[in-house]
Amino acid sequence: MKEIESFHDAIRDVSAIAYTIKKKSKKIIGYLCSYAPEELIVAAGCHPMRLFSSKSDIVLAENHLQAYCCSLVRGVLEDSLSGRLDFLDGTVFPHTCDSIQRLSDIWRMNGRYEFFADVVLPAKLNTQSARTYMKDVLTRFKTDLEAATGKTITDADLSDAIKKVNLIRNHLSTIYTLNSRNPGLITGGDLYAIVKGSMVMDRDIVADLLPVIVTRLEQTQPPVTSAKRIVVSGSICDSPVFYTAIEAAGGVIVGDDLCTGQRWFEGKISEDIDPLTAISERYMDRMNCPAKHTTLTARGENLLALAEKNTAHGIIFMLQKFCDPHAFDTPYLKKFLDEKKIKHMVLEMDDQQQRSGQLSTRIETFIHMI
Amino acid sequence: MMYAGIDIGSNTAKAAVIKDGQLLGTQVIPTGYNPVTAGIKVFDLLLEKTAQVKTEIAAIVATGYGRASVEFADKAMTEIICHATGAYFMNPTIRGIIDVGGQDSKAILLDTSGRVENFAMNDKCAAGTGRFLEVMANTLEVTLDQLGNFSRRADTPSKISSICTVFAESEVISMIANQQRRENIIAGLHESAAARVAILANKINIREPVMMTGGVAKNSGMVTALENRLGFELLVGELAQENGAIGAAVLASNLSNK
Repeated sequence: MKEIESFHDAIRDVSAIAYTIKKKSKKIIGYLCSYAPEELIVAAGCHPMRLFSSKSDIVLAENHLQAYCCSLVRGVLEDSLSGRLDFLDGTVFPHTCDSIQRLSDIWRMNGRYEFFADVVLPAKLNTQSARTYMKDVLTRFKTDLEAATGKTITDADLSDAIKKVNLIRNHLSTIYTLNSRNPGLITGGDLYAIVKGSMVMDRDIVADLLPVIVTRLEQTQPPVTSAKRIVVSGSICDSPVFYTAIEAAGGVIVGDDLCTGQRWFEGKISEDIDPLTAISERYMDRMNCPAKHTTLTARGENLLALAEKNTAHGIIFMLQKFCDPHAFDTPYLKKFLDEKKIKHMVLEMDDQQQRSGQLSTRIETFIHMI
Repeated sequence: MMYAGIDIGSNTAKAAVIKDGQLLGTQVIPTGYNPVTAGIKVFDLLLEKTAQVKTEIAAIVATGYGRASVEFADKAMTEIICHATGAYFMNPTIRGIIDVGGQDSKAILLDTSGRVENFAMNDKCAAGTGRFLEVMANTLEVTLDQLGNFSRRADTPSKISSICTVFAESEVISMIANQQRRENIIAGLHESAAARVAILANKINIREPVMMTGGVAKNSGMVTALENRLGFELLVGELAQENGAIGAAVLASNLSNK
């Protein structure tokens, strides 16, 4: 499908996308985490660009970060220091994991880009004071963006941005639902490209392409498959080899609890209330990552609900090497699933992951086992 | 009807043939550089050894890291599934397997019908694998076969603190320089490797009786170190190294029966 190809093209050459966007005199604001309030960036007339590592060799970043930092943080810093992100006009660091926070410090001190913002979000999300504070923080970020762009962000700008972001998120959600209902309707590689592309491409183009893809998929005859239904959980998944390895082993991904997946796009922003309040509510209420707290069992319950909703045969944890927040949560999540007799497996991977024999052996055995 | 299994490991290629549910024979050769050639060669040698002809073999399952290289196989299955099937075929009471091969170590839990219930596998790192022992044997100028005997003669096993093969090797070199007894160093290496493998067994709450399979099961020093670490006896069969190939042959027979 040519619309899906556009997403593949975009993720193959992100800098080409960036320079096309800059030609439209749009400023590009980079971010690393799904807690970055991209609605505000869109409302400011800027382009929110999710940053992924280009997976180049780490040379310059070695001077700043130890080998036991995660490959995303090291990789993105390397890209920045070696000039591969020179298209950026600025970056925003929401308060999440320790590594991203420390990267924020290094980033600010190396000051390569015009605009820099730390958005110090609350860590505990289940209190009324956090709700008030969240809105205050977002208001502050809005003011920072206004100062950087010299443009006042009106409620109308915010409402337009919300509509656009909601449209994108709703359509991504629909694609996931269609694929879960008819596994194999879309390949894992295509799904990966669409989600990743939606985080880097011009959002106007994404908003045009996704409805076409949904319509085409609705008209596509689903394949007959006996593939095992897998839900994936973890932080980022920027390894297309993972999707192909699952499919080659006779599995299909029917849902995820990923920062680069459903955690990023699930959760509609209300279009009926004050826009800043609505954005703030969405970040309070969306499924949290392990760097944030709602209740002790929220993540486990969400994972169970995902598994049940998608009638999953098993869950694969994609644990990024050296990702402390997710590593700390894994034993409790495993226990949660054990109690419900849901089969699971932990795969420790990094951004540079190649399709190794060991990866295939684990995935094939797991899929055979479930 | 006859069925064959071929296991292309990182170090050795193994093949097994079964007829009417009985094991006819097995063959082991070094894998060498080319897994494709190794697959063909080990199969040919097996047929020669058992005086059988290719056309009589109804189905073949390939396993091991080189399973995709065996082009004449009907199906490729992971070594975890094959070791489980092989162990269950040899002894249906087995509920746990510790398989230590050239580049991987695995702990496998079986259900009562011999299916894989859970498993744990070492990461990229070579610590606790056959490769680790091979590197150390070279450094200590002993053959792999001698490791067990040397280990048995140790009085105070040396303490190897590094879990990384590369660091452990430099630690061993320092021990050699300090004139520590080779027997003690080897016993220390077994304890260090056993500690890594025991972590895998504990991860899946392994259940007895446990069979040890893979080439490293031939090393009595490693078996003893593992038994001491785990606190129970390991069953080691004569064909521990060929167990994956045997399992593959059994799975090949299931393939045809379906």
